[in-house]
Amino acid sequence: MNAIGFAWRSLVRQPARAVLGVLGVAAVGALLFDMLLLSRGLIVSMQDLLDRGGWDIRVSAAELPGSGLRVPNALDAADSISRLPSVQAALVIRSALARIDRASGRPIRASFQGVATRSTHPSGSRLRAPWTILRGRDAAGPDEVVVDERIAAESQLEPGSEITMRATCVTDLEALPATRLKVVGVAEFPFQTTNEHTTGGTLDALKTACGGNVGHDADLILVTSTGDPDGTAGAIRGLLPEVTAATNREVVGRLQQTGFTYFRQISSVLTTVTVSFAVLLITVLLTVSVNQRLGEIAALRALGFSRIRVVKDVLAESALIVGIGGVLSLPLGLLLASGLDRILKGMPGIPVALHFFVFERQALYVHAALLTATAIIAALYPMRIVSKLPIAATLRNEVIG
Amino acid sequence: MRLGVIAWLMAILLPWPPATASAQDATPPDVLVSRHLAEAEDLRVGSVIRLALDATGTKAREFRVAGIYEPTPDPSRLGQVPRSVRLHLPDLLDMTRPLDVPAGAEYVASVNVALVDPADAEQFARDVNARLPGVLAQPSGEAAGSAGPFRVLERFHLAIAVVTIVAATVFLLALTIMLVDERRETVGVLRLIGLPVRRILVQILLEGVLVASVGAAFGLVLALLSEQLINLFFQWRYDTALVFVRITRDVALTCVAIAVPLGASATVVASWALLRRGGLRLARR
Repeated sequence: MNAIGFAWRSLVRQPARAVLGVLGVAAVGALLFDMLLLSRGLIVSMQDLLDRGGWDIRVSAAELPGSGLRVPNALDAADSISRLPSVQAALVIRSALARIDRASGRPIRASFQGVATRSTHPSGSRLRAPWTILRGRDAAGPDEVVVDERIAAESQLEPGSEITMRATCVTDLEALPATRLKVVGVAEFPFQTTNEHTTGGTLDALKTACGGNVGHDADLILVTSTGDPDGTAGAIRGLLPEVTAATNREVVGRLQQTGFTYFRQISSVLTTVTVSFAVLLITVLLTVSVNQRLGEIAALRALGFSRIRVVKDVLAESALIVGIGGVLSLPLGLLLASGLDRILKGMPGIPVALHFFVFERQALYVHAALLTATAIIAALYPMRIVSKLPIAATLRNEVIG
Repeated sequence: MRLGVIAWLMAILLPWPPATASAQDATPPDVLVSRHLAEAEDLRVGSVIRLALDATGTKAREFRVAGIYEPTPDPSRLGQVPRSVRLHLPDLLDMTRPLDVPAGAEYVASVNVALVDPADAEQFARDVNARLPGVLAQPSGEAAGSAGPFRVLERFHLAIAVVTIVAATVFLLALTIMLVDERRETVGVLRLIGLPVRRILVQILLEGVLVASVGAAFGLVLALLSEQLINLFFQWRYDTALVFVRITRDVALTCVAIAVPLGASATVVASWALLRRGGLRLARR
């Protein structure tokens, strides 16, 4: 019988302790797996969000988009950008605060994203606004809008309905007349936060809603290159030195250095604590188990089992506990990750589509490597005990004791 | 009612040689700069700086650094170096007022109000909302929101703690089963000399309480030692005065309240199966 088979029989002989050991490893392994998913989850999720619309460069007035500063003369800037040979299209995004009146209940406070595309490239026209249409169609006319699911549900709107909106584009003091706009679709806005309502339409629709008082600034210009985002971003910076042009990778890199660091640090700390915890507990578990079977191990040695063989048995036992627990920890970890993700997404200002825990194959490999190391390190001390076991003295003590 | 006379301006600091204003010049208005900004730009109290609305120098104006302040730590801005300047509100409005807006017609984002009796906050907010349409008044507690980042992080850490406790409990049970099994002969002899099961169980329970109490005390000492280390590391890493870990009396009591009963229960549960067997069966080799 090989070492694994022998270790399996040892575990089966003591089912309660074996099951509890495996369950303990499964719980610790699940937490470890989650921490590994958390360590890069936000970065992977944010990269996915940024890449989703097909826009690979972001032009803004500040180092990071969404800072509140606006790009001056945005339409002229977008025109200049779209004429660059490496640019397929540029999309100007201008946000404004809006109030949607309802027949009953308090008005809904929402943001209105007005967009305008500039392109001289043949394939530029296929690029769409940075939202995904769920029902109906995209807004095209100056009196058409798309709304998010929350607005649609709260106001009982469907494509074809009409809304009364009061938008303020310049200052909060504006007292604008109400504007009737047609809802042509229900859309999902990738960067919409959990406590936010969003509507979208063309820049002309935003002008209609704001009574023409939009100004010339924009929050952001999205650009799609013909295949070289780094080169195109450099060309934009050369063309418009007063703005910041960053590729999606650069935006994620900047976020990684600022907002996302806390979760990476906390995941590193918890990974270290979890692995140490697992090593300590499995070491104690195996050591106590080995100490209880010293007589039995000495008898096996006397029967002809080599030193290396009994060491292998202990290692195999550790590998089986950690291995089975590790496999169980994966579905358990995914389940736990979805719960923890829901908790963290309650944080204000987090886009609905952003996830803190994202599965990556790399995390699986690291998880397997850490658990393998845990199994080996945890078995070191008990392996030492059995390798140094004096056969005759142990058997004598066993008989006399 | 106290107007928020100090406002924040995340302005662009134009390069300007630090200099002390001479007596004959009109003294520029005072500003405070954050410690991080002062360190980054080598500013000192008395330095004269020029603030503008953008990098091209729109509405640039000179100010004198009257002081350097430590920004209130804000977890939602963790990782961001707070390069900020505090101006008197009239100075800020002078700089930011659009050309077509007359002085006095500007707007501010919010007005903080200190009441004589803070308990009147709810009623005061209701009165303001009724008398000033278009203005939203909220007591500070409500304005902070119930789902702030602190509360979410608290819930997250609580969930992690629950999983850790579950894992620790399972391991603890496995260990106690093994330890109790190691003492089966002793327990068997005790049964054979006439000690009732209840008496042995009480002894095991007391042992469990003792071991769990020592373990909990050791855990608390370890936590107190690591508290300082964790805070020092994160405060260095993020250049902030935020306190990341704080072992309060309540936290310590909660830990003890969970750890001791859990440890004692695990011992009793593990022993129970053993004690149901007969004394002879336990004592036989």
